[in-house]
Amino acid sequence: MQVPLVSRIHAGGGRIAVSLHADKSVLSELSSAYPLKLLSPSNQDATAIVYLLTYGGGLVGGDEVNLRVDVGSGARLILLSQGTTKVFKTRPGRRLASIRVEHSAVASRDDNAPFTTKQSFDFHLADNGLLLLLPEPLTCFRDAFYNQYQRFHIQDNASAVILDWITSGRLALGEDWAFSHHHSVNEIFHNGRRIAKDVILLENTTELNLKIPSRSLQERLRPYSCYAMLILVGPQVQSIITAITHKYDQLSVFKTRSPAPLIWSVSPIDAGKAGVIIRVAGMESEAVKEWLKDALRGLERIIGVDVYRRAFP
Amino acid sequence: MYDDSEAEAYIMLLLSDSNLPTGSFVASSGLESYVKHGFASSSPGADVSTVNFVRDSLESYSRSAIPFVSDAHRAVAQFATNLGESTIMGKDGDEGYNDILKILTEIDELYQVMTLNHVARRASMSQGVALLTLYSKGFSQPPSLSAFSGEEPQEQETRIRKLVDLFKLKVRKEEVSGHLPICWGVLTAALGLSLERSQYLHLFLHARSLLSASVRLNDLGPYGAQQILLHAVRPLVAAEAARCRDLQTGLYVNPSEDFDETTLGPANTWPLGEILAGRHDLQHSRIFNS
Repeated sequence: MQVPLVSRIHAGGGRIAVSLHADKSVLSELSSAYPLKLLSPSNQDATAIVYLLTYGGGLVGGDEVNLRVDVGSGARLILLSQGTTKVFKTRPGRRLASIRVEHSAVASRDDNAPFTTKQSFDFHLADNGLLLLLPEPLTCFRDAFYNQYQRFHIQDNASAVILDWITSGRLALGEDWAFSHHHSVNEIFHNGRRIAKDVILLENTTELNLKIPSRSLQERLRPYSCYAMLILVGPQVQSIITAITHKYDQLSVFKTRSPAPLIWSVSPIDAGKAGVIIRVAGMESEAVKEWLKDALRGLERIIGVDVYRRAFP
Repeated sequence: MYDDSEAEAYIMLLLSDSNLPTGSFVASSGLESYVKHGFASSSPGADVSTVNFVRDSLESYSRSAIPFVSDAHRAVAQFATNLGESTIMGKDGDEGYNDILKILTEIDELYQVMTLNHVARRASMSQGVALLTLYSKGFSQPPSLSAFSGEEPQEQETRIRKLVDLFKLKVRKEEVSGHLPICWGVLTAALGLSLERSQYLHLFLHARSLLSASVRLNDLGPYGAQQILLHAVRPLVAAEAARCRDLQTGLYVNPSEDFDETTLGPANTWPLGEILAGRHDLQHSRIFNS
């Protein structure tokens, strides 16, 4: 069965372009196709706001999202989501959507494909542009199989704040790192040169052999149920980098009997010239969110209190 | 003349010496920080918590470092093979040096940008350059010893030695970082160790250095560490070596191969270990460098 070319190109595709017009960041392009949905509140200001959503509140095996984002010279864009991005192994309840039916018919030829969910994002930031990628955390449900690839092409004095975080599942249902596979790549290029590539693979692996049972994800990641990766890069966020680094350098660790409810680390990328990578782990995702809200508060001065509140109410 | 497998076994014995920079007198790869932060306390005993750390650390290290060991090893082994051919053809080898140095630099640069933890980067660079020094100082044959080996160094050996010296010079000039997995791949290929043995030994040494660190931290006794090494670590190293055998950096993928980065590329599998390793320098008192 052949998938019609049109639906194959457009399913899950999206495009955002922001350019600067007289101090306002204007969305010159905003388009998306099922299951991806892009929404922008009508008010135009110095910072353009776009919400990344998915139909039915989540992604399922076989879904593929491809988004390209262009932030023009001097423009600012904040990308948010509403609620966690949920990844299901299969869509709960059957939905009537012709594209889906065509997709699964093709995918079923491959053993793994029907269960793999893929998101691929390409960001292009022109000189002095600013991208704030501050979505809610990703939640992979039981047996979900998820691959994410994010590439950031940064020109000259463009800046970016990149947040990529994940929770351990639906705690109410007893899920604690019960998904099957999560592979996330964040790759950053500055003027074409790769300056950082973070690849995290979380997998409940099959047994190595009969003698040794594998360490489950839950065993490896406990006692934490939320892990965040935050990258700050570029001149517009230098004061935030300085503040966070200063706070980190003041920490002093003495021997403790049990793990702290939240821990974080900071490392410079590209020998400290370009930016930092921060990792946070917390027993509660709300605590991680509070930590992020506090650490990034300096953004209020750049984008304003109202826009900042959209990311961190 | 001795046969290849005997030569390989002998090289493996030499490289397993815990006095070499491959051993762990300075690096704990995050174990000291893990214990300090209270992560060992939840286990019933120090042996269980140490084995758990070894397992999680080894799995993440093999998935992130073995692709680089393998690509560097393959590149140098390929260079050695081509050398043999080019000398037959009477070609000058200088062009070959530039090409192989460019490849090793690219592999090393990718490791540098993928190792997003300054403590691990620092430890990896100091162990890497120590290995290159070990090769040029500890494995070269002075004229006074030529009577024992009964052989003159062959042309191929001389040229591989020159390659390692050129690479080391680039590290000294800070043109390249010289990370441990890349230097290990270069060293073992230069010594004629097969890729499979090189991967296996690298993982074994990582696990053993964690156990030595545990002894030095007074969490395990030396006999207890030896028991773990013999009974627990052996199947773990074998399993990881088997699992990571075909991993690649992705830089030199044969176009005919179907390279899937999510299954065959380098990745960090233990973000908790990454945070704890990064926090090493925050410890109020510490005995290791990493």
